[in-house]
Amino acid sequence: MKVVANLTLCQGHARCEDICPEVFSTDAIEGKVVVDRPDFPAELEDKVRMAVRNCPEGALRIVKAAAA
Amino acid sequence: MNAPYLPGPHDHVPANLIVDFDFFDVPNGVTDPIEIWHDLVRRGVPPIFYTPRNGGHWVFLRYNDIVDAYRNHELFSTYQSPVPPLPNYPVLQPNGVDPPQHDVFRKILAPLFTPLAVRRMTEGLQHRSQSLISGFANNNGCDFIADYAAKFPTGTFLELFGLPEERLSEFLRISDTFFRSTDPDVRVANLQEIYEVLEELFREKERNPGNDIASVVVQSRDAEGNPYPWIDILNCGLLLFAAGLDTVTNTMAYIWRYLATSADARQKFRDRLDDPAAFQLAIEELMRINAVSAIYRRATHDFEFKGVQLRRNDRVVLSNTVANRDASVFKAPQAIDLERKVNNHVTFGVGPHRCIGSHLAKREIMISLQEWLRQIPEFELDPEQDATIFGGPVMGFEFLKLRW
Repeated sequence: MKVVANLTLCQGHARCEDICPEVFSTDAIEGKVVVDRPDFPAELEDKVRMAVRNCPEGALRIVKAAAA
Repeated sequence: MNAPYLPGPHDHVPANLIVDFDFFDVPNGVTDPIEIWHDLVRRGVPPIFYTPRNGGHWVFLRYNDIVDAYRNHELFSTYQSPVPPLPNYPVLQPNGVDPPQHDVFRKILAPLFTPLAVRRMTEGLQHRSQSLISGFANNNGCDFIADYAAKFPTGTFLELFGLPEERLSEFLRISDTFFRSTDPDVRVANLQEIYEVLEELFREKERNPGNDIASVVVQSRDAEGNPYPWIDILNCGLLLFAAGLDTVTNTMAYIWRYLATSADARQKFRDRLDDPAAFQLAIEELMRINAVSAIYRRATHDFEFKGVQLRRNDRVVLSNTVANRDASVFKAPQAIDLERKVNNHVTFGVGPHRCIGSHLAKREIMISLQEWLRQIPEFELDPEQDATIFGGPVMGFEFLKLRW
């Protein structure tokens, strides 16, 4: 599995970074999401899923690694 | 030139969609201005309705309609959208224009308000908060608004704009008039005074730039290396003044008012004092439940939206507080659950105009609450409240007396 961000939808709420800083951060210029670890380890799956569900713009999704 | 963005009569609105609702007016007996909005839902008014008050405007109550309006600037513009309608309203930068023009000043400001930039402000915010709270912690009470919630964001504004602390009382005075006065002549004079202050500030930062937001804004250049129009620079300053003070003050007032009445919530936050991530997630729930702003848009042309006919220049008011308790989105929406797992609140809006100061606002609130609970772990409402409350685009209290 892999987590991907749609930077057109992202408006920089940074809720993902609050919830799972191990995987998400925010760039210093536009303030949009940076997926630091798209191939997150299994033990972070719950946190990544919470980050995805808490994105107010629906800008994050989890895809099968092969499809990414 | 006539003002081309004023709305016309409402003969396109069917009678069953008209509700008499004045969100500036909080009826006697109501002790919490947010309740005038939730009362609409309890009364079962149409989720998209029109009120003839305040120049006439639509109100959206459903989460999905509000989010759609935020995201669709081709239908719902921020340009010339004030309620009540005013001709030639100042075009705040970047909030008063739509994409792509919006992107110009948004890009100038964005690096200054990223989570990274805000984290760098932490020490200054902590210092300000500690020193304000220690000024009254040894008393047995305070007026939370005057003694803390107004001073803290205003002092922060001064620091971020490279202005000296000595100007705090002057800024408290002009911002109080800006946000609270309803006298048209006073408001015109106040806006003039704010422009004069901003003019002097930006001219000074142009001559002697420093490490502050005003200097960044005044020194910004377009792709050809030319400065931006001076009026846009001033109106960017006006936006930051207008957006970052009263909202934070009143959100804090709501949060402290709630905590003063809930020993359980105070305990939960004290338990999280050494776990900033958990503390912040709990704050997120208080941001959801205490959304103090209602946001304006203007219909760009005649169109149908969710089965309702809107006409060009119709005003639309988006109720964040109602959206945040929409049962189709939030589980047990009326309950305050400090461990809420999924919390897509719209307190800061969504879409291109998402509040650029959201990270600063949340950090101001988090640091304030951490410092407060360390110095004043237990507090309650003083039974002798001056019950002056106000509605409007930012709701809140003029006084909030706490004791401990």
